[in-house]
Amino acid sequence: MVDQVHKEFRRRDLLYSGALWLLSLIIPDPQLHYRREYRFRKRDLFYLLTILLLPLIWSDPHFHHIMVLGGIHGILALGLTLFLGYAGQISLGQAAFFGIGAYTTAILTTRYGFPSFLAFWASALTAFLFAYLIGRPILKLKGYFLALATLGFGEIFLVMVRESPRLTGGVIGIFDIPFFSFAGFIFDTYLKQYYLIWGVLMGLVLFSKNLIRSKMGRAFLAVAASEDGASAVGIDVSRIKLGVFVIGAAFAGLAGSLFASVMSTANPETFSLNLSVLIVMMVILGGMGNLYGPIAGAIFLTYLIDGLSRYQEYSLPIYGVILILLLIFFPDGIGTRLRIRLIYLISYWGRKRRREKVEL
Amino acid sequence: MDIWATLPQLLSTGITFGAIYALVGLGFVTIARASQIINFAQGEFVMLGGMITFFLLNKIHLPYPLAALFAILIVVLIGFLMHLLVIYPLRKASLPILLMATLGASLFLSSTSALLFGTLPKALPPFSARAPFEIGNISVSPQSLWVLVAAFLTLFSLYLLSHRTLLGKAMEASSTDPLGADLTGISRNLMIFLAFGVSAGIGSVAGIFITPIFYVSYHSGILIGLKGFIAAALGGWGKHNGAILGGFALGVLESLSVAFIPSGYKDAIAFIVLLLILYIRPKGILGSPFIDSRRW
Repeated sequence: MVDQVHKEFRRRDLLYSGALWLLSLIIPDPQLHYRREYRFRKRDLFYLLTILLLPLIWSDPHFHHIMVLGGIHGILALGLTLFLGYAGQISLGQAAFFGIGAYTTAILTTRYGFPSFLAFWASALTAFLFAYLIGRPILKLKGYFLALATLGFGEIFLVMVRESPRLTGGVIGIFDIPFFSFAGFIFDTYLKQYYLIWGVLMGLVLFSKNLIRSKMGRAFLAVAASEDGASAVGIDVSRIKLGVFVIGAAFAGLAGSLFASVMSTANPETFSLNLSVLIVMMVILGGMGNLYGPIAGAIFLTYLIDGLSRYQEYSLPIYGVILILLLIFFPDGIGTRLRIRLIYLISYWGRKRRREKVEL
Repeated sequence: MDIWATLPQLLSTGITFGAIYALVGLGFVTIARASQIINFAQGEFVMLGGMITFFLLNKIHLPYPLAALFAILIVVLIGFLMHLLVIYPLRKASLPILLMATLGASLFLSSTSALLFGTLPKALPPFSARAPFEIGNISVSPQSLWVLVAAFLTLFSLYLLSHRTLLGKAMEASSTDPLGADLTGISRNLMIFLAFGVSAGIGSVAGIFITPIFYVSYHSGILIGLKGFIAAALGGWGKHNGAILGGFALGVLESLSVAFIPSGYKDAIAFIVLLLILYIRPKGILGSPFIDSRRW
C-alpha cells in the first residue's frame, strides 16, 4: 500500500514538475539580473523561433502591420524600462525623443538625400544630444516634478514642431519619406519591415541585457532603491541618472527613425502626450525591473488599441476605463502577478493531493 | 512704438488670464495640501464645469444661476466618484501608478464629454451686460472682473477653510504628518475624499466663470489644467496665495510675450517657465510648506 502511494506520488510529482518546466520555457528568467553572465537558454531559443516563424505561419498583412507597430512600441518601452523600471525615475517626455528621431530621419532623407541607414544612426545621435541637454538641468528633480518637467519638454517640442513649418512641415508634417534600405535592399512590405524592426529590437534587448549586468546597470538598481545609499557607496548618482536617461532617449530616437521610414510620414499629432502615457503604461503593465515584460506590454496595448478602434467614438472612454482597471488590479505588472499565481497554483495542487493521500 | 502702445491692453488681458490660471491652480493646491497627489484630471473638472452648464442652459433650459449651481453639484459628485473609484483603490500604490491613473481618468472624462456633449467648442453667455467699458484707452470686459472677483472669493474661502475650521486643519494634517493624523483619530481617506470634492468644486466654478471668455471644447481641459499647475508651482507649491501670485505672473508673462514673439509660441512660454522654475527654485516664489516631504 505504502509502495503504491509512493509510486503515485512520483508520477504526479513528475507531472507537476513537468508543467513547471514547460512554464519555465515560456516565462522570462526570474533571476535575470542576478546571474553574472548572460547564457543563451532554451527559453531564448523559444522566443527567437517564435519571432522568426510567427509571421510566416500567420501570414496576414494586418497582423504583420500590428506587429510592426508593436515592435516600435516595444523599442520605446525597452528604452523607458531602463529609466523607469531599473533606475526608478519617471519620464513623460519619451514621445518627444521619439518625435526627434522621426523628424531627424524625415528631414535628412527627404531634404538632404541621406541614405536611410545613416539617418537611422543620426536620429539616435540627435535624440541622445537633446536628452543630454535637457537631462543635465532637470534630472535633479524626482517624482511628480520630474514627470511634469519631462511633460513640459514634450509640450515645448510639439509647439516648436508646429511653429517651424519650413523645417518640419508644421501641422501637416512630412510625407513621402523613403522606406528603410540597406545595401540596395528595400524594406517595402510589412513582412520585411517586421523582420527589420524585430531584428533591431533583438539587438537592443541583447544590449540592455548586457547593460543591466554591467557596473552601470547595478548602479541603476542602487539608485532606484535609495539615492542617498547609492551615493554613500560611491556611485555618482547624477551621472548614472543622466546616463540612463540618455540611453533611453537614444532608444526612442531609433524607434522614431524606424517609425518614420516604415510609415513614410511624420506629423506632430503622433508625438503628443497620449503616446508618452501609452509608453509608461507599457512599462507598468510589463512589470518594473524586467526586460521582456514591457515588450509584451507593448504588443498587448498595441493590440488593445487596434481592437478598440472598431468601436470608433466609444473607443477612448473604454480605453481609459481599461487603463484604470489594469492599474488597480495589476499594479506590479500583468506578467508578475500571473506568474506568481501560476507557479503557486501548480505547486499548490501537488501539495494538496499529497496531503490528502497521507491523511488516508 | 506700436508695441508699447498695446502693452496696457495686453496687461489687462494678462490679468484676466492670470485670474483664470490662479483659480485652476487653487484646485491643485487643495488636493496637494490634503494628500500630496497631483491630480491630472483637474483640468477636466474645469472643462466639465463649463460643458455641463452649457448643456443645462441650452438643452434643458434651466435659468442661468440654477444651471450653474447644478453643474457645480454634478462636478463635485464626479470628483467624489473619482476618489472612490480611482484614488481610493490605489491609496497604497506607488507614484507612477497614481500618476497614470489620474491621467487615465482625465482621458476618460474628456472623451466621455466629447461623446455626451459633442466635439464642437462651446461658449456661455457673459454674466452681465455685454458692452465692455473703457478705462483710459484699455477696454475691459465685465466678465474679466467677474473672474477676478471669483478668484479672490475662492482664495478667501479657502483661507477660511484651512485656517479657521477644524476640518481644514485636519485636511492639512493628513498630508503634512500622516502618522500624527492617524494617531489623533483623523480619517485620512475621508479628508482626501473631501479634498477631491472641494477641488472639483473649485474647478467647476473656474469653468463656469471662464467659458464666457473663451471657447471650451472637450480636449481643452488638459492644457488649462497644466497651466493651472504651472501657476501653482510658480507661486509656491502648496500655498493658496502662491497659486494666486503665480497665476497672475504666468498670465501677464504669457500675454506680454505676444508683443515680442510670434503668438504660436504662446503655449510654450508656460512650459519654459515651468522648466525654469523647477530648475532654479523648485519651491516656487513664495516657498512651499512641504517641498522636502516624501513625494517631491
